[in-house]
Amino acid sequence: MPDTHIVKSYEEELQLLHDSLIQMGSLTETQVSDSLEAVIKVDKESTEKIIKSDEKVNKFRTKIDTQIMNLLVKRAPMAIDLRSTISALKISQDLERIGDLAKSNARKVEPLPLDLPESLLQSLKRLGLLVQKQLKDVLDSYVTKSVDKSLAVWKGDEKVDDLTHFAMNEVMDFLSKDKKNLAFSTHLIFVTKNLERAGDHITNIAESVYYLIKGDYLKGHRPKGKETQV
Amino acid sequence: MKSNKIKISSKNLNVYYGQKQALFDVNLDLHEKEVTALIGPSGCGKSTFIRCINRMNDVIDICKVEGTIKIDEVDINSKKIDVVQLREKVGMVFQKPNPFPKSIYDNIAYAPTIHGIAQNKNDMDQLVENCLKKAALWNEVKDRLNEPGTSLSGGQQQRLCIARAISVNPEVILMDEPCSALDPIATAKIEELIDELRGTYTIVIVTHSMAQAVRVSQKTGFFHLGKLIEFGTTEKIFKNPSNNMTQDYITGRFG
Repeated sequence: MPDTHIVKSYEEELQLLHDSLIQMGSLTETQVSDSLEAVIKVDKESTEKIIKSDEKVNKFRTKIDTQIMNLLVKRAPMAIDLRSTISALKISQDLERIGDLAKSNARKVEPLPLDLPESLLQSLKRLGLLVQKQLKDVLDSYVTKSVDKSLAVWKGDEKVDDLTHFAMNEVMDFLSKDKKNLAFSTHLIFVTKNLERAGDHITNIAESVYYLIKGDYLKGHRPKGKETQV
Repeated sequence: MKSNKIKISSKNLNVYYGQKQALFDVNLDLHEKEVTALIGPSGCGKSTFIRCINRMNDVIDICKVEGTIKIDEVDINSKKIDVVQLREKVGMVFQKPNPFPKSIYDNIAYAPTIHGIAQNKNDMDQLVENCLKKAALWNEVKDRLNEPGTSLSGGQQQRLCIARAISVNPEVILMDEPCSALDPIATAKIEELIDELRGTYTIVIVTHSMAQAVRVSQKTGFFHLGKLIEFGTTEKIFKNPSNNMTQDYITGRFG
């Protein structure tokens, strides 16, 4: 099958869209890992930079939107090109939301005390690292167009749910030990929930990648981990 | 409105123009009251295919048709079939609007007169009005029915040809690139008309516009070098075709 379009500029536009998405993905990865690091080290110095960098993620979203609008109006993409374009639109929305959640977590660092229990920090770290890995894997599945990898990420969210449940229990423990911990705990509940939500956006991306490759929607029920009740 | 009944069925259809084979073993079932779009590069056989449905190829001496085409399970190439009656049942609209060099009124009245469809002047007036209304042209021409059909704009002429095609109450309408000579507004009017007509007629349209095929049809067939490569729902063909050749053609990668 010929890989390229007869119209070279069309080919270039699709390639530029693909490149933008990969750059946005990589920037979002950095945001997620930086904000996790800031949380578990309670590093109040680094948060300002993370909050500011979210602007860059948002700018990519606008850039990708414009690229997609131009493609739709100029090329009326069909078949695989249509699916690439629409998937890029959806993936960029999810990446932007993941970026927002990372920013939100960075914001939660400022009020935290420096002496949080180690077990609590470790449980947040385990959850955060898993979310980071899920994000990396889903972006890999997009780049390599791998159905298997996208499916593995989709199914992997079950573990994110479990670790969320675990981290939430740690936060509850912390809260129950001293009433003074209430305000801190509220922030930590948000941090945990934000990580879990980022995981959900990652599964959305996995679904978009699956649709892009197969031209069909992922069917069946996604395995769910433990429900977390606060 | 929708029916699953097969209206037109082509079996092992092979068509030759002299030594050159134009269609190879085309097997295709077209359903009643649906719009089927036929797409493919120039010379792929899509026009040849639709010209077989009303035996337009009969007028070409060197053309030979093998295999069968059935409409309502009747073989249209059988000796018992009167080709004039066949074309009463299967109307056609061409790429370039080709009104008769007659008045707007007579363009519509011509075929019903031949086929003895209207009994008197009143009936005929009513029939002309109905056809022009169905073709969304009535309001534009009702005060100038005696002017020549050729005095109309291109888009109006094409709608006149559609009105003429439906004047004898056909069951099938064949359209060979009906909008390729029209501006976007006239094209939109024809597409709107196709949408309205499909409740009543079985429509087969040849088009080079992928976007048009998506807009107007429920089924799409892709032809290449005389072969039907892929046939399916329009949604499937344009979102996720099964055949790589179809994908390369509709995405503009064709080698």
